Amino acid sequence: MRRLFANRVAYATGAIVILMAVLFALSRVAS
Amino acid sequence: MFAVRTVVWAALYLFFVLAPLFALLAGRLPPARDFWTEFSVAIGYSGLAMMGLQFGLTARFRYVTEPWGEDVLYHFHRQISLIAVGLVVVHAVIMLAARPDLFVLPGSLGDVPWGAVFAFVALFSLIALVVTALWRAELGIRYETWHLAHIVLAVVAVTGGLLHMVGWAFYLTDPWKRALWIALTIFWIGLLLYVRVVKPVFMLRRPYRVAEVRKERGDSTTLVMEPDGHPGFRFRPGQFGWLTVWASPFKITGHPFSFCSSAEAADGCVAMTIRNLGDFTNAIPKVQVGQRVYLDGPYGAFTIGNPADMHVLIAGGIGITPMMSMIRTLADRGDGRPVTLLYGSRDWESITFREELEALKARLSLTVVHVLADPPAGWTGEQGRITAEVFRRHLAPPHADHEYFICGPGVMMDAIEKALGELHVPMAKYHSERYSFV
Repeated sequence: MRRLFANRVAYATGAIVILMAVLFALSRVAS
Repeated sequence: MFAVRTVVWAALYLFFVLAPLFALLAGRLPPARDFWTEFSVAIGYSGLAMMGLQFGLTARFRYVTEPWGEDVLYHFHRQISLIAVGLVVVHAVIMLAARPDLFVLPGSLGDVPWGAVFAFVALFSLIALVVTALWRAELGIRYETWHLAHIVLAVVAVTGGLLHMVGWAFYLTDPWKRALWIALTIFWIGLLLYVRVVKPVFMLRRPYRVAEVRKERGDSTTLVMEPDGHPGFRFRPGQFGWLTVWASPFKITGHPFSFCSSAEAADGCVAMTIRNLGDFTNAIPKVQVGQRVYLDGPYGAFTIGNPADMHVLIAGGIGITPMMSMIRTLADRGDGRPVTLLYGSRDWESITFREELEALKARLSLTVVHVLADPPAGWTGEQGRITAEVFRRHLAPPHADHEYFICGPGVMMDAIEKALGELHVPMAKYHSERYSFV
């Protein structure tokens, strides 16, 4: 179960990083 | 508490991935390119930061490992590495699609910019890292060879990634930004040096000697080790250490094993019982009394400490070793709380510590339930696997009030975690350790 929790943390981390990369790119293109 | 600490660490992890990326937006900036190029660059930088932080996940810092448990942290290390490598690969694919002009080879290979050369070095090292980590057994690579290659490939990949960024120099033209990312890379590789150089120096100064080699049931051997010229360390029952035999601690030959002795031993002696699994472990019975060994520990969050009405220990095969440490410690402490051990073994003759467990019943409130996969004729006890039905037969309800400790092969652990779910035992009430986490 803890491994499942670790999986979710890993996937959530990946999703946040991708979202932040989108924000990074949008902020660059918009400026 | 577990959730709070894990959330804090997850937030810190994200900070160390994202802060260096957004620092690139400060100060003087080159003209922006199209969305996909900028997105691709952002995931490239983040992917490299995640790869660098992998050194921190495996640097054996107790503060980092304790809230998760070492086995879970290694699992996270594997999962997050797939995501990090995925980001780097997607970075390359998007660049190829968005900027194919950058991939046109010049007339001479010598004219290829070094920033591009290192991109390929980093990319192929990462792919080799993942392939050898996921399919080491299938590729027939020895653990020790793989471990060394894993470290070399990781350093090459991260250094190659940094040189690719510096060589390309789009965002790193500002000296302070370049210095930030170089310092980060040095810091990441420094974490590796901490484990591989600094810690071994300490271990070299605190050696152990094998005081006893004892044959156990179930093709297992107990090594009792005494500190040589130092007082040793204190551990909590259920924790483990990295054992190095026949080599200096600088060699990558440490293997993790649970301590099976009582945590109350006053002389600093520790014992590990190791089953012959056909690899490094088949040489353990040949260890001689007096042999110098090195121990790095203690580690692990799999330990008794929380008050509970009843401890339920569930062991499969050699997963009994941390449980023995708990039982011996509770006996030495005169702890009167009831303990139930559900112990799965292949057959009656291969039950490691069988006689000692019987003897320990006189010293604490211990119930042992043997579950045999291959029971002898006339066996009236439990047979097959440890299931929710076995729990119901031997544990008094409400099941959610007990505290559960599980250690054994992965298949057994999965089945037991499922069974505990059926009994509505909350995650905070059970602790598990997979002994083949590396």
